[in-house]
Amino acid sequence: MTRVRVTAPRTAALPVAPSATAAREAAEESDAGQVFVRSLIRSQLRLGLVVAGGFLLILLAFPLLLGLAPGLAESTVAGLPFDWVLLGAGIYPVIGLSAWLYVRTAARNESRYRDLVGDK
Amino acid sequence: MNPVVGLAAFAAVSLATAVIGFYGLRISRTTGDFYVASRTVKPWWNASAIGGEYLSAASFLGVAGLILLSGTDALWFPVGYTAGYLMLLLFVAAPLRRSGAYTIPDFTEARLDSRAVRRVTSLVVVTVGWLYIVPQLHGAALAIRITTGLPVWVGPVAVVAVVCATVVAGGMRSITFVQAFQYWLKLTALAVPVLFIVFVLAGNGTPAVAEAAVNPNGAPPAGTYQTVSLLVALLFGTLGLPHVLVRFYTNPDGHSARRTTLIVLGLLSVFYLFPTAYGLIGRMLTPDLAHSGQADALVLLLPGRMVGGPAGDLLSALVVAGAFAAFLSTTSGLVVSLAGVISQDVLGGSVRGFRLAALISALVPLGIASLTESLALAGSVGLVFAFTASTICPVLLLGIWWRGLTDAGAIAGMVTGGVLCGGAMVAGSVLSGTGTPAWLAQPAAWTVPAAFAVMVLVSRATKGRVPRTMTRLMTRLHTPERPLATRR
Repeated sequence: MTRVRVTAPRTAALPVAPSATAAREAAEESDAGQVFVRSLIRSQLRLGLVVAGGFLLILLAFPLLLGLAPGLAESTVAGLPFDWVLLGAGIYPVIGLSAWLYVRTAARNESRYRDLVGDK
Repeated sequence: MNPVVGLAAFAAVSLATAVIGFYGLRISRTTGDFYVASRTVKPWWNASAIGGEYLSAASFLGVAGLILLSGTDALWFPVGYTAGYLMLLLFVAAPLRRSGAYTIPDFTEARLDSRAVRRVTSLVVVTVGWLYIVPQLHGAALAIRITTGLPVWVGPVAVVAVVCATVVAGGMRSITFVQAFQYWLKLTALAVPVLFIVFVLAGNGTPAVAEAAVNPNGAPPAGTYQTVSLLVALLFGTLGLPHVLVRFYTNPDGHSARRTTLIVLGLLSVFYLFPTAYGLIGRMLTPDLAHSGQADALVLLLPGRMVGGPAGDLLSALVVAGAFAAFLSTTSGLVVSLAGVISQDVLGGSVRGFRLAALISALVPLGIASLTESLALAGSVGLVFAFTASTICPVLLLGIWWRGLTDAGAIAGMVTGGVLCGGAMVAGSVLSGTGTPAWLAQPAAWTVPAAFAVMVLVSRATKGRVPRTMTRLMTRLHTPERPLATRR
């Protein structure tokens, strides 16, 4: 087996794009292409902000709920105090659901973009 | 606790780490393998590895300890650690993967077309990494002291030695397998003893659980400001952690980066149920640990206290093994990402440079750790999150989503955030004897907005410096890869 000397590119920032990608980038940099790109970025950002906002509202609602209904914190669920169950376990499904919704919708935004620019 | 138990557990974890590391060595052949595993790691492996790397001493020991000390207030820590990944998914995961950069400095340099930004970012990344390794080593010192009675320096030195050996030998490819293994080890190490303890409690007839809700040691509840500030730090700090970000380059494309993050969120949610359970059981049955200043050792001591005899020794060995897996995995992840940065920027990017950089990245925090005292683990890691949120997070978020960011703005913002947050951390530790005011103890709520504001204002004032490559970069960050390119 021969020894091969391996080195990293000095500025490894961006590897050279293959020519097919270069052609596509040229099309995307045209004015018409940029309209689609900008609308994709806007819709992805809006999606991220909506999901983050919704999640933070729910997060805020948890302590408010406990604060406004003091009896609730003392009640028990399956032998465990309710506030512990709510904060210690109840938030995770909300996080998972938000993430799942986001991944689905983001992929849909991207496939709509692909349709627009004619990628097959 | 029987000292043989702790030593045997540590030896077993180190051995397993080394074996998996050397098994991985046979596959890594090129510098590409070394840095980012050639971007071909499968999502499940990658997600387990991310989970393994992320779950540090703070998660494994610190969260339970803090819950023991301050009850429901501390439940925000695991929630914030997990929700930080949600923010990462929403705003960073796919675009960062598509940038094609190896490290955060690579990304900022490409986005802003500026060597100066690269240097400042590298400096911040190395600072964050070193600050984050220190609590891991404090955790190791605590675990070795509690379980074996050996002097405190033994734990950190042993962890650094094992990490250097694996990283220098195997690079990133083997690290991926090691980290994935360590996630599952950590989960098992917390879950099995807790199930045993619950069995024992059920057999003995438990005291009423609701009593645990009252503060056993009368710690004052945290104010709204502190909780909000903590959440800001954890939510926005996660997406700037260098060892977390370097993982995303190992996904084949942007979409799989998102899928990986989704799996990670599931893995973290399952994991954090267990430190919470330890904290709750600790509050009910062993509140004395909080008084004796051993709160961070709760996870290590609880199984031996609740289950006697050889079974208790076995369970203790398991949690000790999990704790060392936590120190080893987070430290090695950080060392790999720091070594990537240092070797690219200072040592020319060769494999030998990477190895030398790995040694530097591990030895400096060892020095810091031996000179400093251990604070509450979850708290000191929380401060590192605040620092990351005030420096790397703004440059990443604005770089990905805002066309107007300039190099001058990025540098001004990072310096502002770093100085304000670093200053608050130093002032807080100086004042710690006399009681730190809340706005110094949890600075994220004002340092993060300040960093964002400076970054935006200075960028606005230097509009002419928006790089000409910006349009091309933004297009690359946000448009999906060609289907052809992903199949290759």
